Amino acid sequence: MTETPVKLLLVDDEASLRQPLAEYLSRQGFAVIQAEDASRARSALLEDVPDLVLLDVMMPGEGGLSLCRHLVETRDLPVILLTAKGEATDRIVGLEIGADDYVVKPFEPRELVARIRSVLRRASRAVPAAADEDAGYAFDGWQLDPLKRRLTDPDGTVVPISTAEFRLLVAFLDHPRQVMDRDRLLDMVQGREAHLFDRAVDNQVSRLRRKIEADSRDPKLIQTVWGGGYRLACDVTRTAPAD
Amino acid sequence: MRLSPRSLQGQMLLAVALALLAAQVIAGVFLYRAAAARAEAEVVNALAFQMIGDVRDPRARWRERGDERRGGFAQRRRALALSLIEDGLQGRRVRERDREQALADVLQSQGVDTEDLIVLAPIGPEERQRLRGGRPGNGTAIVIAGLRETGGESWRIAAHELPRFTGNPLRGVLIQTLILYVVLVGGLALLLRRITRPLAALTARVENFGGSTVDGPPLEPSGPDDTRRLIEAHGRMEARIAALLDEKDVMLGAIGHDLKTPLAALRVRIESVEDETERARMAATIEDITRSLDDILSLARVGRPSDPLERTDLAALVAGVVEEFEDMGEPVELVASERIAAPVRATWLRRAVRNLAGNALRYGGAARIVLAREGKQAVIRIEDDGPGIPEGQIAAMLEPFQRGEASRNRETGGAGLGLTLARAIADQHGGTLTLRNREGGASGLVAELRLPI
Repeated sequence: MTETPVKLLLVDDEASLRQPLAEYLSRQGFAVIQAEDASRARSALLEDVPDLVLLDVMMPGEGGLSLCRHLVETRDLPVILLTAKGEATDRIVGLEIGADDYVVKPFEPRELVARIRSVLRRASRAVPAAADEDAGYAFDGWQLDPLKRRLTDPDGTVVPISTAEFRLLVAFLDHPRQVMDRDRLLDMVQGREAHLFDRAVDNQVSRLRRKIEADSRDPKLIQTVWGGGYRLACDVTRTAPAD
Repeated sequence: MRLSPRSLQGQMLLAVALALLAAQVIAGVFLYRAAAARAEAEVVNALAFQMIGDVRDPRARWRERGDERRGGFAQRRRALALSLIEDGLQGRRVRERDREQALADVLQSQGVDTEDLIVLAPIGPEERQRLRGGRPGNGTAIVIAGLRETGGESWRIAAHELPRFTGNPLRGVLIQTLILYVVLVGGLALLLRRITRPLAALTARVENFGGSTVDGPPLEPSGPDDTRRLIEAHGRMEARIAALLDEKDVMLGAIGHDLKTPLAALRVRIESVEDETERARMAATIEDITRSLDDILSLARVGRPSDPLERTDLAALVAGVVEEFEDMGEPVELVASERIAAPVRATWLRRAVRNLAGNALRYGGAARIVLAREGKQAVIRIEDDGPGIPEGQIAAMLEPFQRGEASRNRETGGAGLGLTLARAIADQHGGTLTLRNREGGASGLVAELRLPI
């Protein structure tokens, strides 16, 4: 690590978690600023601009979600929420108000570091306008709501898919009718830190086919391209973000 | 099938109908008796009138002598009547003492002195026909009476046909009863409906009451005041229960938060433990506590889910769970599956299937899952090759904190809430969870999750 350390702002009212987490993250090479509530976080932001904010959702006084909205709207800072709640609705609310990711307490510290790196990498990449990111996808009668990760078939039936399948599907939907080779898909789906075999992509593709193809042995939507790769064989339209 | 109604409306209507019937029967009896007395008086008066008329009307003397102009017919009639009276006097024919008495009273009041008075029992239509030599009559009975005045020689004969009993007064009562039934019972039925309909709505409401927000606005009070007050009181009770449940959820959220934060702190702190195996063990313990905590919190919340039912492809959902196990290298296999869409809460149902498959793995070493449609139900069947459960303990296994072994060793993991939670999730979807041992030789447990489609 020769470059300047990444600056993190850690906001959590529980000193028993905040302090050891700050120490751990420092050992991992981050520069950590601590704040025990939202108002202190706001004043810390005036002095120094962090690269990423780790934010506890449940805090006395101003809550984490409110501060998160402020950070996303006025500072355009990447935010990872720390939440004790495991319910899907809480996560969706967090993502909807613009958090980049969330971890559920108690989290594995190494997983948190991986998420921080992944969010930073995404933030550093020149991504399309944020509004576009939330727009829904429509293809061949299907709908995908990226915020809720909700895939519905032409009848409106929800088809549950895993995170990996969701990322794979988004990769296809962002590049309709293009041939995507395994390396490219792996890069888009897993990120660079994952050292997976090519087979992993094939496996995910076959799982995704099982869920969205009428007959997974005779796929019509995701076609295999001879010479290595896959292609989404239909057009995609973007829809306005669902409610 | 039972015939006596059990509902308020049915019982009330039956009671009113029976009471009405009883009253009408009594009224009918009185009417009948009055009509009978009237008919009797008519008979006696008619007989007396004929006898007195004989005395006062000279033209009627043919009755005594047998009128020339009426020829032999009247004579024959008179002779026949006299022979019958003779039979009565000799005791060969039944006399009617009551009528004789009544007739004597009437004659006395009219100043007729009687020496002998006889009233024969009515002669029925058949006998009449026989006496008339086989010529059919008009089908009525006839009463024949004879009178001999004091000092008189000959008999005065009177005959009166008994009015045929037509049941007219009873028909009136019947029509009246029918009208009463239609008006009273019908009106009462309408009135009772006004009372029972809000009660039925209230019953449905109470039965479906889950304390969740999907119950909609409180029931609008309707019907009579008593019912209104009941509905209002129920509304207030619903609100109190909802408040209690809300409080419980808030409390559980707080407990979850308060326990998970120190667990998170602990999880971060153990990263500084040098010994790798020791650290892994600590991490596993924390994970275990977290899982148990999650199970307990879920079990407390399962009856009051915050997410709505959504039509979901069960094949994709079950496949997703199987793939999670595949990724961990666990032998969980999706044996058969078909596309079934059912209204479910995906996060909850996924958890139930995960728990059942995890159980099968833990006790049976492997899990085979089948998703099939059976009638109006979707069946998710999870089968293992383990030892199964002794028949007597199957029900107990669904209770909280029960595990296969008597010892609650941590080796097998979990707080023993997996099956309880799975069953609660089945309930939440209006479905069922049943456990049974495999049939036909091979040991193993079959867990069957049935969901309405």
